[in-house]
Amino acid sequence: MRPRVFLVDDHGLILAGLRAELADHVEIVGAADEVVAAVEMILERRPDVVLLDVHMPGGGGEAVLREVTHAAPEVRFLALSVSDAAEDVIAVVRAGARGYVTKSISAPELLEAIFRVADGDAVFSPRLAGFVLDAFASEDRLGEAEVDPELNQLTPRERQVLRLIARGYAYRDVAAELAISVKTVESHVSSVLRKLQLSSRYELSHWAVERRLT
Amino acid sequence: MRRNPETPLHQGVPVGVLPQGAAPAPVRDFCAMSVTTPSHAEVGVPHRPLRRGADNALVGGVCGGLAIRLGVSERSVRVVTCVVALLWGVGLLAYFALWLTVPRAGEDRSIAGRLLGGRNRLARVAVAVAVGALVLLVLHPFSQALLGPLSWAFLLAVLGLIVVWRGATTEERQRLEELGRNTPFLRTRAEWTRTSAFVRILVGLVLVLLGVRLVALVSRPIDGGAPAAIFGAAFVVAGAVVLLAPWWLSLVHDLSDERRSRVRVEERAKLAAHLHDSVLQTLTLIERSADDPGQVTRLARTQERELRQWLFGPATTNQEATLAGALDALVGEIEGDYGVRVELVVVGEATLTESLADLVAAGREAAINAARWSGAERVSLYAEVEPEKASLFVRDRGRGFDPSAVPADRHGLAVSIRERLAARGGTATVRSTPGQGTEVALEVALA
Repeated sequence: MRPRVFLVDDHGLILAGLRAELADHVEIVGAADEVVAAVEMILERRPDVVLLDVHMPGGGGEAVLREVTHAAPEVRFLALSVSDAAEDVIAVVRAGARGYVTKSISAPELLEAIFRVADGDAVFSPRLAGFVLDAFASEDRLGEAEVDPELNQLTPRERQVLRLIARGYAYRDVAAELAISVKTVESHVSSVLRKLQLSSRYELSHWAVERRLT
Repeated sequence: MRRNPETPLHQGVPVGVLPQGAAPAPVRDFCAMSVTTPSHAEVGVPHRPLRRGADNALVGGVCGGLAIRLGVSERSVRVVTCVVALLWGVGLLAYFALWLTVPRAGEDRSIAGRLLGGRNRLARVAVAVAVGALVLLVLHPFSQALLGPLSWAFLLAVLGLIVVWRGATTEERQRLEELGRNTPFLRTRAEWTRTSAFVRILVGLVLVLLGVRLVALVSRPIDGGAPAAIFGAAFVVAGAVVLLAPWWLSLVHDLSDERRSRVRVEERAKLAAHLHDSVLQTLTLIERSADDPGQVTRLARTQERELRQWLFGPATTNQEATLAGALDALVGEIEGDYGVRVELVVVGEATLTESLADLVAAGREAAINAARWSGAERVSLYAEVEPEKASLFVRDRGRGFDPSAVPADRHGLAVSIRERLAARGGTATVRSTPGQGTEVALEVALA
């Protein structure tokens, strides 16, 4: 079944390009170029996946995310941005996006990411994987107040998966490399996403900002 | 506006419901006449009841009302009031007495009348007077040190002001609030009018003089002693502040305005220079090479990388000195020279030691190899710094090769990389499958 996709981007050219690339493979149910209209139309049309631009006037993608996930948690978001800045990446994922890819992604990869998000899985670009590894880097940086190791640490296996993704491996390559199934890779990645969204690690909120200053 | 709960509701309503500025027409005529043609007042005035002025009021409108009633100019009434106010405060007390007991123009009840209009009035008056007297007795010794013989009059006037506030109609309260807001103390010089400057200078001088007088009193301890000295100094300071604040404020405003605009201009110039040197140049180049798609892609990528670095990159100037900085430069070089996209992910950070420089150099060889031979459009670079080692992975998803059947030239390359890293306690591993791509794993030990 073709997923129903909604596009949000304030650049007309990008919207047109995305439409052209995606139209043959998914059902595009609408597009919006600003926050308020996007929220309204998404809530009305209930797409499977929203392709969301991170930088927009009026609160950006984060505003759309917060408003929609509140009212319609079943709508899934894939963030799409030109920015590689850590704080942007972390912010949208923490706000509820199921994944983050940059606009330089190729069309087949974008399609794969959309299908993956539509299936409820997480999409980690190499860069996002790197950010997460960096943010969850070492255990000794874990503050004493962090009482929930379940949420605040990565398992060795998750670390392995993320490393391979950061090295440029596709999910199926990761699966082959670790001799596990693609489904297992997906479940590891989803678990990392959950930790990323729910963790109270000090690093997550401060690391992304500090990263720019050092 | 807050409605005083003790003021019966209906009393405020007749005036309060009128839109501001829409006072009943007769009042306006009445006052207009008094202001423009004072001589007429003499004829008509004796039959008019005394009313406080609404439109010609400075504070409570008492002087304005008296002027109309007596048929003299407002200014002379005000001057006389001020002079009498200095005589043990008689003028001040008289002013407040009239403020409380004379209805405002256009109203038929005075403030006192309104406040006393309800039931239980005797009890309420008794309680109010008792509380007032108590407050006055407590405050009197302190104010005596400040104001000398004017003390009682001043305290009574303050009480009067409180009573006025409680009993005032909505309209009059709004006027008083506005008066408070427009008190000229906190305006900058640019907002000055002649009146506000005059009031400011007067208030400032009075405060300074009071302060000096109090300090002088210290020689006669009976009148005040220590409190007088403290209050005196405070008054002098307050006076100086009131006098000098506008100059100081406008100085601060001017300075910060100037700084802000200078910063803005500099930022703009920097931005313009940058855009001109980079983006505009590149756009021109792209225009010229429109028939060479490869060149266009390369130019666009190089420019994108540079702009991204400028916009989102770390603010440090000395980037080359870190591993991430060196890898960034490497990415720029390869993207520019070979037209492939290089995706770089760095986890952890370290300053660029000799070992790490060798790691980067080895990575450069591997990445150039991938860009040149693999046929892939994208090369992934992943670097990770751990406490005891640093690793760098160069991966492409190009045509790959069979490592056991390596052509001599590429074999030699792998050997040179391997030897260089071995000297640093590191390793280099090449994994490749035909049709699946290649990955070179490089590693050095960190001291």
